[in-house]
Amino acid sequence: MSLSTCRCSEALWMRMDPPPTSQPFSTSAVRTPLLAQRRSRSSRQSYRSYVGTASHLGYTPGFTKRRLTTSRLAPRGRTADEVSPAQLALLAREWQLSYVTPLYRFRHGQLKTYARQLAAFVQSEKQQQGGGPVEAGAGMESTLKVSFTLVAGMAQTEADADTVFIQPHKALWSGWLACVGGDPDYMRSLPEDFVCLPLFCRGGAAWLSPLVEAWFCRTFDCCFGPLEINAVSLQWLAALWTNCRAQAGVQPLKLVWSLPVEPPLEVTYAVHPQDAWELWRSVRRPLRERVDEEEDEDEDGSVGIEEVEGFIKGLQSHFYRHFRLELSAGQLTQVSTALGSAKHGGRLKISNGSYMVTTLTLLTECALLKMPV
Amino acid sequence: MDDLARSLLQRLIRRIPRQVLKTTLSKWARLSLQQEESLDFTQPKFVLMEHLLALCAENGLGVKHITELEMIYVIDNPNQRKWNAYQLLEPRDDALSVEMIHFKEQFKVHLVALIRHVSIKIKKHTDEAVWIRLAWGDSLSRPNHLKPSYVVHHLQTPYVFVTNVTSKRMTLLNQALVLATRYSSIKDANLSGRKLTAIRDLLMKQYQQVFPSKHLQPLGEKNQIISNPQVEYEQNEQSESRLQMACEVFGGGALPELQTAIYKLETKLKDNPNKSMTGREQPFRCVVKFASTNILESLRHGAMTGIASTPVTPLLSSITQKGRNHFVITDKGPSSQ
Repeated sequence: MSLSTCRCSEALWMRMDPPPTSQPFSTSAVRTPLLAQRRSRSSRQSYRSYVGTASHLGYTPGFTKRRLTTSRLAPRGRTADEVSPAQLALLAREWQLSYVTPLYRFRHGQLKTYARQLAAFVQSEKQQQGGGPVEAGAGMESTLKVSFTLVAGMAQTEADADTVFIQPHKALWSGWLACVGGDPDYMRSLPEDFVCLPLFCRGGAAWLSPLVEAWFCRTFDCCFGPLEINAVSLQWLAALWTNCRAQAGVQPLKLVWSLPVEPPLEVTYAVHPQDAWELWRSVRRPLRERVDEEEDEDEDGSVGIEEVEGFIKGLQSHFYRHFRLELSAGQLTQVSTALGSAKHGGRLKISNGSYMVTTLTLLTECALLKMPV
Repeated sequence: MDDLARSLLQRLIRRIPRQVLKTTLSKWARLSLQQEESLDFTQPKFVLMEHLLALCAENGLGVKHITELEMIYVIDNPNQRKWNAYQLLEPRDDALSVEMIHFKEQFKVHLVALIRHVSIKIKKHTDEAVWIRLAWGDSLSRPNHLKPSYVVHHLQTPYVFVTNVTSKRMTLLNQALVLATRYSSIKDANLSGRKLTAIRDLLMKQYQQVFPSKHLQPLGEKNQIISNPQVEYEQNEQSESRLQMACEVFGGGALPELQTAIYKLETKLKDNPNKSMTGREQPFRCVVKFASTNILESLRHGAMTGIASTPVTPLLSSITQKGRNHFVITDKGPSSQ
């Protein structure tokens, strides 16, 4: 074992190197026990403390608010429509989100090796568990093949690592790791051998997820955790997705609140897309000195948090005028438009390539904030 | 047993849970006591099904008898389908004295005159409700017993509850109902739900009504909101008045289990800080849906705790006052269809 130290801008980081990961694959199901201990010895600052504490509690005023992202870039009109075939696999499916801590010595050039290793791992785990669940027609007795593919074109900054898509053949499961628009300062602060792909999306047969996660944990010394999408992020998505007028179609902007009464009351508020767009535009207009009155030009530039707040407040006050029910007393649990849907429990669906990057940037930030490291 | 009877029975057995099956079969009384006792309800369903099919074949039972069994099941378990409520309007002089036999005769006559190929089964349930099972056919095919409609009418009331009827057939059904009940017309009551008992109780106000009283009396079954005693002392009067108002609107005690309410709003956006939206001529179109295991209790609790401001807005109080859960609201006031 070798001891290595490296200095980064924030703190001194000391770490014990594990044995290299290219050793022959062992059939033991016992995970390396030192994982947890290593984590606690780090004196490196987490992204959370880097940005400010209590960041996902909402509109926290003052110091933290300055540090949080208060404006996001929305893509310009038509050019954002092109989607590569690899990116198509990410669309129109509902994904369950998790965060992942940085991966140690993950090499984008070794994807084929990883695919073989994962396949072998899953195979052996299944045999150990006594054959696993019966999958009709999946032919699990034959060798399971897995493919890791690169999804190009998602990285927004130099620091972003390319998205990796994982698909076992003949198994109804797929997953992908992404880092889109991650904070470059944070990326730079990571020690050299670490690759940051904080957003993990998975979907499909539930039995495969823990196996894939276990393999990642043991191979790259990382850990996974559930990623909820908090109310602020959901409001951002509602505003950003409404901003894309071209793709609105006939699907309404749908917001779902859960009110804390007994029994719990769910309020679904569906707004006609054209009317939602006009309300959004009216919120943006006074806050920016817009010279041109052209409607097409509104789909550009950055969106500020005050505009998002104004938009949601407008919707809530129209509701209050009729029902005299305070929606803000409840919790926003779901947002969906023609561009996609997001649920508080961490479920995401992207229906359209146009705003994929913006959506993923927001979610990458959520993942980074949620990470304990 | 012919094929139709077999498939009908198979579908029925698949749908009826085991605990309920035993009671339903004994109510049906088409099997001898011996045969009933020979059925083993602990066996897997497909075994039970084969046994039952054999017994029915033995007794020479056909489609007519199987539909009887289905009707018994539906009458005892009405809360599994989507029901729509209708209201009869403008009773004629003899409407209130229409009795079962008269209604039955007239309904059959009129419906068959309108649609020749329909199979009608009418049964009177214990609580003055008339249950009608309809299987629709046309000139090319026999009545389809696999997709029956059910109609429930409480005699001497203007209410009718219907499930599984297409809009086309609804017009004909409406005509037959109007003629048989001696009213002039019928309209959609804008009330629908899965639980028949809930929508019936709501419409016929069969739950504890609370009336305004000068002396605020604490109601027996109110929910205990546990809080700081000092805060409670300060807020006592307000919380009691909220409770009173909530119960006046929604009722006291156990409330009918209505599960959804849908409002289609087509009103203008007002009080908006942005002038561009306030001056807008077109309405702001949106649809609001409330859902819960019991929305009346949720709303009452909301009014009690202050999440819903009191006095309760007429949009919400209309659910109980008017007995409906589908609304279209425009700037000219709620539109009644």
